[in-house]
Amino acid sequence: MSTDTSANHTFHIHHDAPAVVGRRERLGVRLLIVADAAFVVAMIFSYFYLRGLNANGGWVPKGGHTLSASTGWVVAAPLVIAAIAHKIGAKSRNVVTSGIVLLSMLVGGYLQWHQLAHMPFISVDDGGRHFFEGAYASNWAVLGGANMFHYIIGTFLALGLFIRRSRAKVDPTLEYWRQLTASSWFTWIAISAVLCAITTGII
Amino acid sequence: MTTLHNTSTHSRPIPNPAKSLITKLNMGTGTVVGILFALGAYYALRPAADAANFYNQQNKALLAGMFAWSIGFLVGIGAFIGPFRWLIGKDLTAEEQLYLAGDGQGIKRYFKYCTDHKVVGIQYLVGVMAMLGVGGTMAMMIRTSLAIPGGHFVGATIYNSLVGLHGITMIIAMIIVATGPFGNYIMPIMIGARDMAFPRLNALSWWVLFTAIPVLCSAWFLGGIPTGWTAYAPLSVQAGPGMNAFIATIIIFAFSTAVAGMNITATVVAMRAKGMKWNRVPIFVIGATMSVALAIPAFPTFMLAMVQTATDRVFNTGFYDANVGGSGWLYAHLFWIMGHPEVYVILLPGVAILMEIAPVFVRKPLFSFNAAVMGFAGIAGLSVLVWAHHMYISGWTPTLNGPFMVTTEMISVPTGLLFLVLLGTIWRGKPWMKLPMLALFAVIWNLLIGGITGIYLSDVPADNYLHGSMYVTAHFHYTLMGAALTGAVAGLAYWFPKMTGRMLNERAGYISFWFTQIGFQILFLGMFIAGAEGQPRRVVSFAAMYKYQNMISTGGAYLVGTGFIILLWAVIHSWRKGDIAPQNPWGAKTLEWTVPYPVPLENFDELPVITSDPYGYGKGN
Repeated sequence: MSTDTSANHTFHIHHDAPAVVGRRERLGVRLLIVADAAFVVAMIFSYFYLRGLNANGGWVPKGGHTLSASTGWVVAAPLVIAAIAHKIGAKSRNVVTSGIVLLSMLVGGYLQWHQLAHMPFISVDDGGRHFFEGAYASNWAVLGGANMFHYIIGTFLALGLFIRRSRAKVDPTLEYWRQLTASSWFTWIAISAVLCAITTGII
Repeated sequence: MTTLHNTSTHSRPIPNPAKSLITKLNMGTGTVVGILFALGAYYALRPAADAANFYNQQNKALLAGMFAWSIGFLVGIGAFIGPFRWLIGKDLTAEEQLYLAGDGQGIKRYFKYCTDHKVVGIQYLVGVMAMLGVGGTMAMMIRTSLAIPGGHFVGATIYNSLVGLHGITMIIAMIIVATGPFGNYIMPIMIGARDMAFPRLNALSWWVLFTAIPVLCSAWFLGGIPTGWTAYAPLSVQAGPGMNAFIATIIIFAFSTAVAGMNITATVVAMRAKGMKWNRVPIFVIGATMSVALAIPAFPTFMLAMVQTATDRVFNTGFYDANVGGSGWLYAHLFWIMGHPEVYVILLPGVAILMEIAPVFVRKPLFSFNAAVMGFAGIAGLSVLVWAHHMYISGWTPTLNGPFMVTTEMISVPTGLLFLVLLGTIWRGKPWMKLPMLALFAVIWNLLIGGITGIYLSDVPADNYLHGSMYVTAHFHYTLMGAALTGAVAGLAYWFPKMTGRMLNERAGYISFWFTQIGFQILFLGMFIAGAEGQPRRVVSFAAMYKYQNMISTGGAYLVGTGFIILLWAVIHSWRKGDIAPQNPWGAKTLEWTVPYPVPLENFDELPVITSDPYGYGKGN
């Protein structure tokens, strides 16, 4: 390999231009989103595969305890609001919008936890053993668990961004890119929640 | 460990952020905190002996303890200090970041949360060698048990666990055997970068993986895993407590792989030296990047399969229980959607190493860079469309067997391109017969055998007969061990001087090579014959008609084992007392050979600018 030495070398990995670092971080987050998206797609595949098989008529719980199609949208809505609020506030680095993002995460996280804690399709057998009634119930629980995981990561990000904006710790260049990077994540988890809501709406 | 020093690297004062917590954390603190977390989680959830749901509660406590160990270790070694400091708005100072990079800390940095990509590369190398050693020992126990009919060197239950643990240990080791050590140590230098794109995540990927090792080992003390490495449901749902170790290991490993894959891909895409256009990127970098980029979407499906297995075991969900609407086929799909691309995740970097080596040792340009890239891309693309050839005889939608047979056999085309590039490069050359070049010839032979025997398994009628036999075992060992592992050994011999500053003992390397390769042919050709005659795999007892085939195979296994022990000795001895290596012992043209040993913290004093491709042998530049 023929090489030449850069005479006017100015870039250094730990001192790269903020835009260079920012684009790199955004690429990294997008690649992680690919991994997370593969997980979500696999969950949706699992849902429709078992729904299609309906082995031994076991898709719908025995007591018919399915959840309303709106339950998925209830937990998706705060994520959509958070994604929009973050997008609006990313350029201005507005503390109010980051507060809205954090609040949406906390409210949505609570709603998701509440839904998981009050699932109507768990029964107790003669031996006192709890079990899920049917494949629909199993899939619903794991989709809800994945949403909960997204809420936890989103809350961490939202809290960090809120604290940093409140303390004026926002570097106008590098942090701007980090806001955009966070925006990729917030947008993805909102899309993921919407996909889950659509999926669980098809019973 | 080498005792070489580079004064330019160590002339700077060692950063000492005295009041920072990061100076006090290391593997020891990680282990202590990890154990405390694990015990805390286990005892908080442990079941009462007479509990109605004892089985579920026991699985819950064990899984919680295993994940708590992993998280606790990472807390104790300081992995979360950076994110926590970001959270509260007090970013790490430049001095703390330099300390995390291990600057001037000698051997201690290998036991810390060190962000230097070269340290992470060495950590991967040592870790991989340890895993291969453990997995290889289990292989020797398996072969010893199969030496004679009714040999029963170990009991049937232990044999089952040996087969499963050998499988998963080797699969994990093989996934990281090239991209771990060389992808971390060598690749950033090859592309003219000062470090990986995300140094802290780089360290995280290693230490997360490290936490999976004791978890997997714990399976031995929890009754083992009776399912083989495929862990088919519902067998895995009904298996004993050792299965929890398998589940936790896969979930932890999948997380580590996603982080590592993202980091390597981002580094290659965003941090190449000025002038390094895609057609000037070294072919090893292309192959390794395709491999990890393929792993990013593939492994989460296996992770989901394990999450569902865990919830079936802990919460009595019904993913794999047909009584409540589940299906074992679902597991098979999720597993093999990952499982077949995973073969190429392992294979591509091994072949890419050989493509890197071939031009250097025949002093000729790489034969058709574009064909090599098309070969890698074709394999990566097709590999996600072939999974159901593992399910021909499962009864799942027989009408789709034909299409899957076609897609599987189509993979021969891009694989043929890889052969073409390797053979075209060495054609009419005068090979410099050093150890890496010997390995190249061995891989061409082994991959040929592995590839051709694979065609029979992709063929529906032939697979109906061969499925589940020793033939399958021999086939994938030819591919993964004969090609990918031998390719990685070639990489070790090639880059050993750059990674350790010493030359690998040549005589020991040759002896190891011939023991290993001759033993390998005896071991697996014997197994092919036994399998073609109908001997099932994963069964400890076999009929007397397979006596000689198995005796021959076991003899070959002992030759392979001897060869690897010699290689291990050569590596350790050469690392400590080998001849000092010149900066560029092979006269290669890629960037890693332009930097001295020890490689400076940020690799290059001044970043290079690339003006040609790296294979210009015989072109006068």
